[in-house]
Amino acid sequence: MNFIRKVPGFYFIVLICCIGLLRCHDTIDIIGIADVDLTPIPYQPIPYLPDVPAGFPALEQPVDNPMTIDGIRLGRKLFFDPILSIDSTISCSSCHLPNKSFTDQLSFSPGVAGNTLRSSLSLLNVAFQYHGFFWDGRAATLELQALQPIENAIEMGESWENVEKKLRRHPGYQAEFRKAFGIESSSMINRDLATKAISQFERTIISGGNTRYDRFARGEIFLNDNETNGYLMFFNVDPVLPDAQCGHCHTAPLFGTTDYFNNGLQESADLEGFADKGLGAITGKASDNGKFKTPTLRNLVFTAPYMHDGRFTTIQQVVDHYTSGGKQSPNKSSFLNNLHLTESQKSDLISFILTLTDSSVLTNPAYKSPF
Amino acid sequence: MKIQVLCLSVLLLIGINSCKKDTGGTLTLHFKALYDGQSLPMFVTKPYTNPEQLQFTHLSFLVSDLVLLDQSSKVNLKDVELVDLSFDDANTADGGYTISIDNLPAKNYSGLSFGIGVPADMNVKKPADYPSSSPLSNSSYYWVAWDSFIFMKTEGRIDTIGNGSFDTGFAFHTGTDNLYRIVEANIPILIEDGKNKQIDIDLDYKKVLDGIDIKSNPQNHNPKDSLQIKVLVQNLSGALTLVQ
Repeated sequence: MNFIRKVPGFYFIVLICCIGLLRCHDTIDIIGIADVDLTPIPYQPIPYLPDVPAGFPALEQPVDNPMTIDGIRLGRKLFFDPILSIDSTISCSSCHLPNKSFTDQLSFSPGVAGNTLRSSLSLLNVAFQYHGFFWDGRAATLELQALQPIENAIEMGESWENVEKKLRRHPGYQAEFRKAFGIESSSMINRDLATKAISQFERTIISGGNTRYDRFARGEIFLNDNETNGYLMFFNVDPVLPDAQCGHCHTAPLFGTTDYFNNGLQESADLEGFADKGLGAITGKASDNGKFKTPTLRNLVFTAPYMHDGRFTTIQQVVDHYTSGGKQSPNKSSFLNNLHLTESQKSDLISFILTLTDSSVLTNPAYKSPF
Repeated sequence: MKIQVLCLSVLLLIGINSCKKDTGGTLTLHFKALYDGQSLPMFVTKPYTNPEQLQFTHLSFLVSDLVLLDQSSKVNLKDVELVDLSFDDANTADGGYTISIDNLPAKNYSGLSFGIGVPADMNVKKPADYPSSSPLSNSSYYWVAWDSFIFMKTEGRIDTIGNGSFDTGFAFHTGTDNLYRIVEANIPILIEDGKNKQIDIDLDYKKVLDGIDIKSNPQNHNPKDSLQIKVLVQNLSGALTLVQ
């Protein structure tokens, strides 16, 4: 006690030390990563308004995730960065390659622990989808979709906790998250912001407007005879030609819907007998068993193999399947019956489908890897 | 004293506002699919023209311009709604599809009116013209060859020889301005404060399909092949029942 009295500044020093310790503690988060003050980095978000092709629906950006130049830049980097996977080998772009129209052209996509159970869906025009992501519609929004592959044991095998750690300690990402979302410190980087950024980038992947079909729809060109015949059958416009039944599910202008159909790929005597229940496994409704999302037909020529399990390697095989009526089951689409199309009519149908080709997407520099 | 008066005023205001929330009544429209008077779950076998049998797989229609009629005016209830009656089991089929409108002025209305399909001013647009929150944004309910929304979908499978093999799909979709129908029921509808008024609207699909040869012509999307759906639309008035 005498010592304390002899040192009048003792309590003051203890106080300073405590404050110092507390301040030190403030800069170390609970998992031992230094928190970095990001406020010196300017946050000046510039809204991004994508060019939407004529005839397309308006692009409704989520209120809580408006697109910005810096948000898209960050999202693009995350999309191509294998840092999201447990062994740094798999990125979003591993299964969604720009030069393959954002698929991987495989029946089942390889992940960190083998192959996935479904073929990768193209990301073209996901900006115009407002519900029902994945083949079975298990994610309600694009942001929620982006959450899932990281923690899927086969796809990326990582945990979001680890991804957050990696991103928080990465100087480049610290600055880019600040620019994209205005966060004040690196500890604020989290999965919510990461998936928002990825979704912002994915919403820029818009295809349409310059295909032969789009130009025809605007009255700028004529389709050739084969394409015209295919168009008339696709949408059942001409009473003389057979209805190819395509336009019920592959509706213009996106040539896909977020509806689900049993397209006759699996035979089943009852509603419970499907090997892959698809949508039904998510909703629990027996009538949804065997149903899958309708993918877009835009750029179909670049997205083989086809169907959720990649069972068809050519568009010809797909057309043969649909015109045959497919396999029987109680909830098979009512539009799937034997159509008795001639080989020439099938060929015309394919000619029309090819008018939906937009090869500019494959080489668009805005979609290239930034690494 | 001033504080007490202020507190009292605030409490009085809160009280008045709370009372306001209770004003008005609720109208519940309960749509249900029937087949020959019985509830109609999907995938259940129903007799058709002997020996044919049907299993329905999808039943839906667009309801538009839903209004309560008054002697001199109309109360708009809803612009457009997709009524989906595709239910897997008897319980959910009995539950049907419900449209509920709250806070309606209490009074005795003279009737109810709604369209099956969409009127011309809505039909002139395309799905891309509607926001994603609208049922009309769903391109599955638009048929390019008609330049029209699909007003009503009646889909299923038919067993044409009565042996239990439902190997032919059928799909009757209605659309185009001339097949838009307005249902007007001139019945007294009493809306009371704080109370729910329910009206059951049953649609009997046996009557809807009356006179239609499904076996010979199981689909109707061809623009010049509207005979079947004209019959189907004509049948609607006899197939609809409103019960309070």
